[in-house]
Amino acid sequence: MRRFGWLRVTGAFLVAAGLQALGSVLIEGYSEPFAIRAQLVLSSLLAVAAVGQTLVVIVGGIDLSVPFVIGFANVVAAQLYGDGWPFPLVCLVVAVLAAGIGAINGFLSAALKVHPLILTLGVGTAVQGAVLLWTAGFPTGSAPEGLTKFVSIGAQAWMLPVPWLVPATFVLLLAMMLMLARTPFGRRMYALGANPVAARYALIGPVRMWTLTYALSAVFAAAAGVLLLGFTGSAYADVGQPYLFQSIAAVVIGGTALTGGQGGYLGTVAGALVLTEINTLLIGLGLQPSMVQAALGAVIIVLVSLYGRAAHVRTMI
Amino acid sequence: MPLITRETRVALVLLVLLVALNVALNPARFAPSAWGTLLGLAAPLICAALASMPAILGGRGGIDVSVGPAMGFINAVLIKTLVIDSGITSAWVLVPSALVMGAGIGAVNGAIATLVRVQPIIATLGTYLVLSGLTLTLLPAPLGGAPDWLKALSGAWSILPLVVLAVAWLGFKRLPLYEQLLATGSDDRAAYSAGVNVTAVRFLSYVVTGLFVGVAALVLTALIGSADPTIGPNFTLLAISSAALGGVSLAGGRGGFLAAAVGAIDIFLLQSALTYFNVSTFVLQISYGLILVASICINALPSVLPKRGAA
Repeated sequence: MRRFGWLRVTGAFLVAAGLQALGSVLIEGYSEPFAIRAQLVLSSLLAVAAVGQTLVVIVGGIDLSVPFVIGFANVVAAQLYGDGWPFPLVCLVVAVLAAGIGAINGFLSAALKVHPLILTLGVGTAVQGAVLLWTAGFPTGSAPEGLTKFVSIGAQAWMLPVPWLVPATFVLLLAMMLMLARTPFGRRMYALGANPVAARYALIGPVRMWTLTYALSAVFAAAAGVLLLGFTGSAYADVGQPYLFQSIAAVVIGGTALTGGQGGYLGTVAGALVLTEINTLLIGLGLQPSMVQAALGAVIIVLVSLYGRAAHVRTMI
Repeated sequence: MPLITRETRVALVLLVLLVALNVALNPARFAPSAWGTLLGLAAPLICAALASMPAILGGRGGIDVSVGPAMGFINAVLIKTLVIDSGITSAWVLVPSALVMGAGIGAVNGAIATLVRVQPIIATLGTYLVLSGLTLTLLPAPLGGAPDWLKALSGAWSILPLVVLAVAWLGFKRLPLYEQLLATGSDDRAAYSAGVNVTAVRFLSYVVTGLFVGVAALVLTALIGSADPTIGPNFTLLAISSAALGGVSLAGGRGGFLAAAVGAIDIFLLQSALTYFNVSTFVLQISYGLILVASICINALPSVLPKRGAA
């Protein structure tokens, strides 16, 4: 089973590399340094947004509040920074609020055994409404210069020709892999996702685990929202919407099964690369945005059917 | 299974409260003479919720998130391709076309989700993107021109599509397929061991979902009287929320026609009452989210509380 998981992750990386090669052949300038840098930055943003989705899928849930929390963090951070708050304090406040939202998601889903799909959607909808109400629909504020530089495609991190976001995402990847594979919390997540009943006998409290995991998920979604503020320069409550389906697609393309208990963050990073590659390639080929969307849908199905298929019932008995 | 499950009872209580609230707030809008129009307004959501239900009943993550875009796609093809480009306005062509397109989309979803075994939410997310992309390509901007007989389906005759769906569902319940679908949704391994062709049953549940989507698309077209490429996708999450609110278990095996319909009417009445207060759309959105969360939590309470004594 473990070996099969690695196969899927390797497969996703190979698909990303194949798409890069295909793009270089078909489109002039596809492998120019600037184009590659842009792809890395966009993939990193998606990868950060999909951390939370990966974690909640591993414990057997799903989080539809990701885009709303991204928008929430985006708007609140801009507003508070615009009001003259110091930026580290802004980040702290946003992270704490996001953790609270996530904790509500996880606690209610687990304690009441409600399907997280609808619950996170409801909480997310309410959160976005609250943000819009607070800003009266017209968010103001700005991003600190350091943040813009952190994510800007043209920026440099020391010797590296990429902004700090890219090495930071790499560190995040290592930290996540370490957490999932080597900490008791990570192992409990897999145990709970694989078999909730057995996990209970192993004294793994589902309510506590879900509350923590969803809180973590929301904190990372909030981080993506703050990073997007630096990327676009101004606040926009709907900035997270594309990440609703993209975060789920990145997780699944990376080989993490939505049934829980399997997969990992390395796969999600591969999935983020694949999705960014497909998007860039299709736009580069001159397709209309609506056709890009249609082709993206078809490609997701084809990719997942290549290496992300679920087991047949007869193998589960 | 009893006709009205405990979960649906909560939704029914909510329904009674919401009807009373709406009638008290706005008697003119809810007077008997306006019932046809009112039902016409609610019908697209009711049909969409009914359509999302069969796929959910099949269990193991069974869900069809492409319901909304599929409605939008069929709406666009009906008006743009058939009525405007080909000049076909006959009900004998348009109605079967909508049903065939719906069933076709359902069969594709079902094949990807059950034969290829891509997880249903991803499979139908893929067709969600494909259908909404195709709709926007076919129809970059809204376009008018639904035939008069179709427009009448959102006014005086708005009850007709719902009656047709109810009769169809009653017929479906008499088929062995219905029992097999509930068995599969409750415990697919037990159903498989008992000789149920789990794959075929789930595949057919997507086809039924697709057929209902065809009806939902007709009802939507009747209401808006035109083709609109952006209106469809909104229905997906509303429809699934409606079904869940009415007591269709997203884990499969529980729920039915009444549950999905009551859930959808609840959400429609909720929006209607909130709109009446003339609050900002933001307050509307907050209340909508909170009420959704509150009602599914209330739905879940009875199944959680007794266990404390047992454990």
